[in-house]
Amino acid sequence: MSDEVSATSTAHGDRIAGVVLAVLAAGAWWHAQTFVTGFMQPVGPGVFPRLVSVPLGLLAVYLIVRPGLDHRWPGAAALCRQLGVLLLLGGYAAFLESWGFLPSTLVATVVLMRLFGASWRQALPYGVLLGLALYALFEFALGIPLPNIPGLSV
Amino acid sequence: MEILAFLAHGFAVALQPEHLLLALIGCTIGTLIGALPGLGPVNGVALLIPLAFNFGLAPTAALILLVSVYYGCMYGGRISSIVLNIPGDEPAMMTTLDGYPMARAGRGGEALGLSAVASFVGATVATIGLTLFAPLLVKVAIRFGPAEYFALFVLAFATIGGVTSGSFTKSFIAACLGLLLGTVGIDPVSSVARYTFGWYELYDGIDYIVALVGLFAVSECLLFLERDRDKATAAMRIGSAIPGMRRSFACAPTIGRGSVIGFISGVLPGAGASLGSFLSYVLEKRWWGAKGKFGEGDPRGVAAPEAGNNAAAGGALIPMLSLGIPGSGTTAILLALLLSMNITPGPLLFEQQPDMVWGLVAALFIGNVMLLVLNIPLVGFFAKVLQAPSWFLMPMVTLVAFVGIYSLNNSPFDLYMMLAFGVLGYVLRKLDIPTVPVVLGLLLGGQMEFNLRRAMSISGGDWSILWSSGISIGIYLFAIALLLAGLVYALLIRKRLE
Amino acid sequence: MPISTQKTLRSLGASALLGLGLAVSLPSQALPIDECIAPADPGGGWDFTCRSVGKLMRELDLVDGNVQVTNMPGGVGAVAFSNVAGKRADDSNLMVATSTVGVTQIAQGRYPGGADTMRWLAMLGTDVGVILVDDESPYETLDQLLEAIVEDPASVAMAGSSGAGGWDHIRALRLAKAAGLPGDQIGALRWVQFDGGGPAVTQMMGGHVDAVSTDLGEIAGFIESGDVRALAVLSEEPLPEPFETLPTAVSQGYDVTGYNWRGFYTGGEVSDEDYAAMVETLETLYESDEWKDVAAQNGLVPLWRGGEEFNDFVRESIDDVEAISREIGVIQ
Repeated sequence: MSDEVSATSTAHGDRIAGVVLAVLAAGAWWHAQTFVTGFMQPVGPGVFPRLVSVPLGLLAVYLIVRPGLDHRWPGAAALCRQLGVLLLLGGYAAFLESWGFLPSTLVATVVLMRLFGASWRQALPYGVLLGLALYALFEFALGIPLPNIPGLSV
Repeated sequence: MEILAFLAHGFAVALQPEHLLLALIGCTIGTLIGALPGLGPVNGVALLIPLAFNFGLAPTAALILLVSVYYGCMYGGRISSIVLNIPGDEPAMMTTLDGYPMARAGRGGEALGLSAVASFVGATVATIGLTLFAPLLVKVAIRFGPAEYFALFVLAFATIGGVTSGSFTKSFIAACLGLLLGTVGIDPVSSVARYTFGWYELYDGIDYIVALVGLFAVSECLLFLERDRDKATAAMRIGSAIPGMRRSFACAPTIGRGSVIGFISGVLPGAGASLGSFLSYVLEKRWWGAKGKFGEGDPRGVAAPEAGNNAAAGGALIPMLSLGIPGSGTTAILLALLLSMNITPGPLLFEQQPDMVWGLVAALFIGNVMLLVLNIPLVGFFAKVLQAPSWFLMPMVTLVAFVGIYSLNNSPFDLYMMLAFGVLGYVLRKLDIPTVPVVLGLLLGGQMEFNLRRAMSISGGDWSILWSSGISIGIYLFAIALLLAGLVYALLIRKRLE
Repeated sequence: MPISTQKTLRSLGASALLGLGLAVSLPSQALPIDECIAPADPGGGWDFTCRSVGKLMRELDLVDGNVQVTNMPGGVGAVAFSNVAGKRADDSNLMVATSTVGVTQIAQGRYPGGADTMRWLAMLGTDVGVILVDDESPYETLDQLLEAIVEDPASVAMAGSSGAGGWDHIRALRLAKAAGLPGDQIGALRWVQFDGGGPAVTQMMGGHVDAVSTDLGEIAGFIESGDVRALAVLSEEPLPEPFETLPTAVSQGYDVTGYNWRGFYTGGEVSDEDYAAMVETLETLYESDEWKDVAAQNGLVPLWRGGEEFNDFVRESIDDVEAISREIGVIQ
């Protein structure tokens, strides 16, 4: 476990976040100027976003100047797993409607269990079980229609 | 007292065995649905409305069933807050702050028991307040105009620095980020699309449930992968609910304060249950100052928001029933429910249909008693669920959240949005920036902005309207006092550390 | 990993197919209406339209099962409009509640699309505009209120459920113009938007605004309870009971009417056949006695326009509102 996590004592994390937030605040301010104030409105749609982006920008600058302690970021192996989970879930969202609920969910449950450390012998039966249970829960118990497999009514 | 006679009648109706059975069924189903992240009262009530019609239930019976489901969902929401660090719905968010640390310390059962008692007391206080003061409170509530509401939201955000133990700067950054994210979508006043960049999926703004599940559930999942995956998962001990119930005697003053604060914010339409639980938590934290262990598993950090949340839900019934205004998301569901039964809330409802009004109040109360009783076996059940190995539990929680979010709008876009919020939540938590203020900003930002703009429309563009009434000046002074107290407290801690 | 995933996938797909014994689905066919989108929060006019019509459809057995009501607030209906246009244009099980308020938004170019984007089903009744003040207000009659406005437009703050330039505001401005307010003074009259007629009225009772212009149906309870005073209803003829005593603006010498019809649209790609079936369902509902009762209880006057007739009517209304909006200065 410990070899997967690299510790740093510099405060790069806070500084980078400060820069990103400062840019975001400036962008929000600038974009808010394009919002057209409509008919008879003393306060238009751009005022509130600008009211919020000022303190956000100032606090972000403060974060760059006076960052806090930095934290441990994940090592390569943990990072790979995290990316794997995000990719899997993103792919699941992308294929949910074109494949239908059951096939995409069964793939997602099995692979997700693998990523969380199950062996194939654990992931296959329990993944299928979980997928079917989800289907039963949403389709029948909660009565929420889920995407069908193309050409089939399931 | 005519009202007491009506209330007694309401209880007599609600206590019939058939109705008690319905309340039991409703609370159980509701708790199970509410405990699943991403599923909440909307799903629960939507599921049971057709069922109630199909069984041909009488209006009172249907109302009791639906109200029980609704309360069950609220209770289920705090179960997942405490044991998984994932709030089932937005008012349960504050309960994660101390409930989850308690659960990690093996005191999950205690937290669950305590939250049940606190909710029950909060609901009882609200019921009493509703019975005694409803007509008077309506008169007070309408004194709150746009400028006063704006002041109330300023108060909420001024105290946000006290939410978590992290730095003031970071809490305010998170709040500003939430407020900014809350402006995304079509501006309802001018119909201008803000920060949508041509994506019509963003026109209706960022759904706070999507943000909530992303920020809490998905980020928890990512953190788990680097933190706990390879540990031999020592199954978390939940323990029994009984000590928590006993503990609640020690927390009685906390529960009392939380109930009153929650009730007041519930009575103001537009403030709502989330603000109730938030203010109860923050003010309780301030009350104890350095003597509390808030954020590290202080039982009072569970008792205060739970009492506040339920008292607010009860208080919000006053403007909903007597003015027809749903003050919060939760009362909006109840309003939809009443309308579907041909009951139109309004100024004449208390006079024209007193049996319905007091029947509803009794049903809400019975739902709470039922949950208090159900709590003991349910804690055992959830303790069993949590003993499942983490390679099964985490995928299950993630996928239930995923399908639950998908089922809101049948939209894969919501899923991408949830993943994006998951990554955001992960990064924020890594940087010690609290996520609770982000959700609060998203949740309250819209009302804050529109009340500002309404106030400015009333004054014709004169900003001084914001501090021109006694109520708003009082709220601002209170906010300043709390802000100063927080700063002094932070300085004292720094001195002590040096 | 990719290979094993693919294998798993194939075997899983196969086992899922076998294990469940799937039935091949029939080609999709026209199903009865099963969902009504109310483009607002619960409690307002659109929500009422969906809930009451959905419930009646079920009670009259015009549909199988339930008509689910989905609340989709945002942008005075723009969010629901863009959602249906983008995702559900061919969904013949869906109808969306709309009214003059929605059509006003289209006329002013505030929806992401024009009238052609949708198919307009029918209207079932109309609500009527009303001008209200608090029961303790110094304004006893419409004349007094309008006089005060003409004398100093900045002295009165009015409120309603639509934004500046929306239907509630337009009705109020037409009255002010009829009373002699010059066009260049219109901008001085203050207008405040609330989330609905109910919130606007309660804010007026709290003394935050001076008068409210909105629909009668939503706030009828406040008139009956005596909390507010109705200075004028904007109908041609006096209303039926229990509102028969409320004075019309016409009877007080201001030739202004302002109705707000309630109706439905569906997606633009719904087939002619399904469209005709949906219109027929609504017409059956309209002709029932139950609808007449529900309408009367809620301050609506039953009025039918369906199918092509309604389609033409919507287009005409859009042209009318556009002309008025130009005249008042809402759009250039």
